[in-house]
Amino acid sequence: MLIRTILIAGAFAMAAVPAQAQSVEKAPPGGTYKKVSELVKLPDFLPGMGTLYVDPATLPAGPFLAYDHDGRLASTIYMIPVEDIQGQKKFDNLKAAGGKVDHVDMYFNAGHPGVEKPHYHVVLWHIATADEARVAK
Amino acid sequence: MIGRRTVLRAGGWAAGLALLGLPPPAQAEGVAEEVVEIRMRGNADGSAVWFDPVGVLVEPGQTIRWINVDPGNSHTSTAYHPANGDHPLRIPEGAAPWDSDYLLPDQSFDLRLTVAGVYDYFCLPHEEAGMVGRIVVGHPQGGPSAATLPEAARQRLPSPEDIVRRKSVRIG
Repeated sequence: MLIRTILIAGAFAMAAVPAQAQSVEKAPPGGTYKKVSELVKLPDFLPGMGTLYVDPATLPAGPFLAYDHDGRLASTIYMIPVEDIQGQKKFDNLKAAGGKVDHVDMYFNAGHPGVEKPHYHVVLWHIATADEARVAK
Repeated sequence: MIGRRTVLRAGGWAAGLALLGLPPPAQAEGVAEEVVEIRMRGNADGSAVWFDPVGVLVEPGQTIRWINVDPGNSHTSTAYHPANGDHPLRIPEGAAPWDSDYLLPDQSFDLRLTVAGVYDYFCLPHEEAGMVGRIVVGHPQGGPSAATLPEAARQRLPSPEDIVRRKSVRIG
């Protein structure tokens, strides 16, 4: 299970070096992306993640684009239901619009409006670890 | 046996009446005036969510107030009842179901339960994660079977007897 999960995270990280990164560097990203707090009842700014945007057609996996208080892109987040990992579901060609990836975090989340089932957050950080404080609260 | 519920949001109706310069409504005779607070909590990364306390004992008609103190999530207080998404009935026969709708951080929801018995409730987006709670109203005998609960929720709920004995049961 752990190895499979790590492989999924690795695949995301490798895919996340797109050419079209400039268009989403500042919020709002435009296009088909919508602010998550306007789609479901969630706080505008989520401590630890930031202000999220997503194309509703890509739910639940995303990508979610997460911005800091100044509207600068901090991370691209995928939300993968645990049951999909256990079911060996394949996620193919997930968009990776956020640009260069500095590092990747993966952690369990119990759920929230929009992605109610327990899931993993796969976070492709576009900023250094030390700069994560920009979205801490 | 008919349940009666009063739904109050974001600070409560008594506070609203006070702002308007109106007196608060009279309490029913014999009903405890102390508000029982249940906090909706989550840890920093959202990996754990819970009601605190998870089990409370109240008197019939006593106000129960849920407050979302989780800065990174929304929560609900939703009765186990077929009217709420076809969930199993886990409140007393004849008692009215409730659903707070999503509460953002710092929002609250008030409810009064007048029918004695055992009431189980859950958080809509977090039932599978085990975010459930139990209220004992009065001093009933027994309670609903745990058979209709998700496994994560089954592990969380204290027994009605434990709630009656301790009055308030917290996780951990």
